[in-house]
Amino acid sequence: MSSISSDIIRGYNDTIILYLLWDAPSYGYEISKRIKSLTDEKYVIKETTLYSAFTRLEKNGFVESYSENITMNGKRRTYYRITAQGRQYYHEKCAEWALTKEVVEKFIKQDGGE
Amino acid sequence: METIRNYLETMFAKLPVTFEVQKAKNELWQIMEDKYTELLQEGKTENEAVGIVISEFGNLDELAEELGISNVVLQGNQKLAGNLRHVTLEEVKDYLHDKTRAAYTVALGVLLCIISCCGYLLEISWSWRGGVYAMCFMFLAIAAAVGLFLFSGFVMGRWKFLKQRGCSVDFATAEYVHNRRESFRVTYAMMITIGVILCILSVLPVLIVTSLFSWGSGMGPALMFVFIGVGVFLFVAAGNVNAGFTTILSLNKNDTMGGIFVPSQKQVSYKNDTVSQMMSVYWPTVTCIYLCWSFLSFDWHITWIVWVIAAVVQRLIRTIW
Repeated sequence: MSSISSDIIRGYNDTIILYLLWDAPSYGYEISKRIKSLTDEKYVIKETTLYSAFTRLEKNGFVESYSENITMNGKRRTYYRITAQGRQYYHEKCAEWALTKEVVEKFIKQDGGE
Repeated sequence: METIRNYLETMFAKLPVTFEVQKAKNELWQIMEDKYTELLQEGKTENEAVGIVISEFGNLDELAEELGISNVVLQGNQKLAGNLRHVTLEEVKDYLHDKTRAAYTVALGVLLCIISCCGYLLEISWSWRGGVYAMCFMFLAIAAAVGLFLFSGFVMGRWKFLKQRGCSVDFATAEYVHNRRESFRVTYAMMITIGVILCILSVLPVLIVTSLFSWGSGMGPALMFVFIGVGVFLFVAAGNVNAGFTTILSLNKNDTMGGIFVPSQKQVSYKNDTVSQMMSVYWPTVTCIYLCWSFLSFDWHITWIVWVIAAVVQRLIRTIW
């Protein structure tokens, strides 16, 4: 079984994260866990990759972060929330993917070149 | 949990402490902590959980751009990591052991030097035979002192590299040394305090002996040197042991994780070059004046005022230039 190439998927980490934030704000570990379970553990995102995507998204104004107390003893956790701009960007990325997929698909033999 | 924390600290150890870096570290720590806790709840053993968390950490190079540390990570990792000598915890323990022993050896040497003249102060030295004994005692004491200095020099010789080339310690080691220094703090304070008290009280024997016994006047000055000797012994020993901790803790630069234990050392700098050169011999000169004046006049009860004046003068010079 081939594993996923991190170079290829890198361009779509942002899309994946925006998708997962679509309905409700979330935090680092939850997102990483949902990526793992939604892809049947075929894609396990590295912590540094995840954090790098968060900072990039936030810098571009696609997500907002806020900190929240999660337990009585003052442990805080950073949550991320999608912005209107983020939703816009997500649509663009979806369109881009549809096109990319269509193009690359032309060159993929149905039988995998057997 | 501790392992993960240390892993993270080590990963960040060579990075500058900026707001972005701190933020990234906190954030990554949150994710790792969450993941670790949940893995344990799922029934993984502690070792398995640690293994998974660390294997899924990724690579800090990926964050270089976000953190504004591209140059540190890319060039730094290659250049620094290649040249920096990593000092292990075992080596650090050895070093501290040697350093502590050397501290007491040197202190003992200083003590012997200080009391070497005591024989001459005693009354018996006024006779011919007594004079020979006094001289023997002086030379023996000085010889022993020199021996001790040389010995500690040899022992510490193998640690010279700590100061000569770039070395680094990881976070766990820095923390270990920091804890050692913390636990030494009380002892250090006691040694310095007792040392100061002994130096101040050193005039007492002279006063008491001269006032009580008109015949034993030599005893007083001799005891004074013993008091001062023991006081200085305490200063030197405490100072040297402490210097060992500081040496290790300042191996890492102040702006890295391991270096945060050492408060950024205030470099006193004089704007005027001439003054700064003169100030480098300031304290030796003061010491010289103090000793010359004291030994020539034997007005030990008043000569200490040199130190007070010198301190004030130094403060003035520092403010002006």
